[in-house]
Amino acid sequence: MPIHRRTLIKAAVAGGIAASLTGCSLLPRKTGPQPERYAGAVGLPGGSFGVSAFDRSGNVQWQAPVGTRCHSGCNRPGQKDILFFERRPGWSFYVFDAETGQRRHRIMAPEGEHFVGHGVFSPDGRWLYATASRYQPGEGIVAVYDAEQGYKRVDTFELAGIGPHELTLHPDGNTLIIGLGGILTHPDYDRIKLNLDTMQPALILMNRRSGQIVGRFAPAHHQQSSRHVSVSAEGKVYVAYQYQGPLYETPPLLARIEDGQLREYHFDPETQAALGNYIASVVAHPENDLIAAASPVGGTAILFRGKTGELIAKARITDCAGIQTLAGGDFLVSSGQGRLVQLSAGQPAKDIARLPVQWDHHLV
Amino acid sequence: MQPITRLFCTSALLACTTAAFGANADTQAREQWHGEIQNGYESLATETEQLASATAGYCNAPTSGSRPALNDAWLDAFLAWQQVRFVDFGPVENNNLSWQFQFWPDPKNLVARKARYLLDTEAPVNADVINQSGVAVQGFPMAEYLLFDEQLNSGENALPTAKNCEVLSAVTRHMARNARDLADSWVSFKQHYLDTEPYRDTTIKAGMTALEILEERRLAQPMGLRGNGKRNPYITDAWRSGKSLMAVEATVAGLEKFYLPGLTTLLKAAGEAELADRIQRQFEKVADNFPEAHVAMTTLMGSDDQFRILQGLYVDVSQLSTLINDEAAVALGVVRGFNSSDGD
Repeated sequence: MPIHRRTLIKAAVAGGIAASLTGCSLLPRKTGPQPERYAGAVGLPGGSFGVSAFDRSGNVQWQAPVGTRCHSGCNRPGQKDILFFERRPGWSFYVFDAETGQRRHRIMAPEGEHFVGHGVFSPDGRWLYATASRYQPGEGIVAVYDAEQGYKRVDTFELAGIGPHELTLHPDGNTLIIGLGGILTHPDYDRIKLNLDTMQPALILMNRRSGQIVGRFAPAHHQQSSRHVSVSAEGKVYVAYQYQGPLYETPPLLARIEDGQLREYHFDPETQAALGNYIASVVAHPENDLIAAASPVGGTAILFRGKTGELIAKARITDCAGIQTLAGGDFLVSSGQGRLVQLSAGQPAKDIARLPVQWDHHLV
Repeated sequence: MQPITRLFCTSALLACTTAAFGANADTQAREQWHGEIQNGYESLATETEQLASATAGYCNAPTSGSRPALNDAWLDAFLAWQQVRFVDFGPVENNNLSWQFQFWPDPKNLVARKARYLLDTEAPVNADVINQSGVAVQGFPMAEYLLFDEQLNSGENALPTAKNCEVLSAVTRHMARNARDLADSWVSFKQHYLDTEPYRDTTIKAGMTALEILEERRLAQPMGLRGNGKRNPYITDAWRSGKSLMAVEATVAGLEKFYLPGLTTLLKAAGEAELADRIQRQFEKVADNFPEAHVAMTTLMGSDDQFRILQGLYVDVSQLSTLINDEAAVALGVVRGFNSSDGD
């Protein structure tokens, strides 16, 4: 039986903010040099929002309140900063001390712009690249900030398109990979999608130093909103769609760049339907050829092989969204009900923790 | 046959029978929902057509006697919309039709700003202009502004001045066209709806969302039960006409007529007939608040005595919401998640 939202809130209010770890004493280790903590934007009691960080024992390290719901964030390489971006339309991003949760900065979007929930650092931790929108003309941009100057805005790169969302950095250290959703919105009109008939989504590759677009790939259908991206250690670039057409159509939702074009992954009809035309996260594992994708709408997470497109695993996880790669080749999937589920190629999905929070879309 | 084998076979048969029964109930529920919603959409098409006709009639020959009839035509159409407003999937998603019918909430008062702009425009305001003007112009709130806004209707652009009539005519014709298209598209949508199993949960969630919006944003927030605690009638659906609570009544009535039958089918198939009965009785309790609550929110917020009427309604709606969003949803295995309802 699913954990009810009010149960989670009660648990948080009671101060019992620690994970209930299932059959293990520690949360699994992340891949590579990532910090040994799990952080994410969360929903809090009474409808407020925060950012929470848990240590590997499942104890809360810190919890910081924020003004509005946040979406995703990023760790600053080599430094103790952890950033979280407000959910679209985001008027600011927050910089916290990653160890204490103390707020160091709140950087407001300039007049006429808003953030969209995602950012990524240069490998040296100096430059922050954040997707954003100039909302009056509806122009997507990458906003560049200098972290060494207190997150001063130093540059703006044009995307020649509408609705950028997630961006990440190619292992070449030089190429930004950007999901351009193609959907026009305007803060005056809530989150109404204003151009569903004329969307032009794309997967964009950009030189992070010059801002020059070095690759632009359009999905097969103009309503395959290309919002989330990932890249493997070998540089294979993946994109996940949120299809804006009717539910009775189930087009591909995942693709990767192959031979200069987007190769789409077609799964069996049951799996396609289970993904609900909506992928919230796609993550390529740096240690193998496995890709994980999560659909909160369909309540389903999948694992597939990048090269062959073979479906390796499928798990029903209500409201799943965030994905983290684990040392050893597995994935951890978070849910809005506080679950952390380990997804493996070799064995069934395993519940490893229940946290008294509502994890928002992305684990950091 | 060995007892253990017999038990297994009996269990398997029971499981198969239950699954088949569930699948049949799902199909039956979707058939009910489709038919009921069709009725609601037809009513919306009829009422908006009558609103457009009443506008033309009044503007062609304005008499003090025909003005109340025009106001009533707006209200009838608005209430027809409230009854089907919970449907947030299918053809109503096309071209943001739902937003076109009712752009709400409107914290920046875009409706008034856009109306003033159109009323000051020298060029004719025709169907093309309305088509291009965005959702704040294309539906009930704009028509309500033109008909009921006190400041506008005590000034030089008050109805039946030519410009106001021109804008109101174009807006109401636009609404009538949209409503006709919606009803026709819903008919074409039928086979997809019946063939696509996920529409079961989509439909259940549509009613849940509508109840949550009703409880939180249409009642609790204006009543000052959330946020800063201040009462604010100006964030309700129809504060200019004072019909926000009639709209609440219509939304609940629409859910009872068009949503509850399919839900009841599913609950009974899941062995939850008693819960279905409780939900039916709670709908009746909400309805019992009317006609006493057929009053402008502003009036009910003016004194503690009057406010109790609003509190009574809120409590009944809140209990209805709990029955459906918690108990029925759990019984039917439907969850509206923190992330799944986010859209990012």
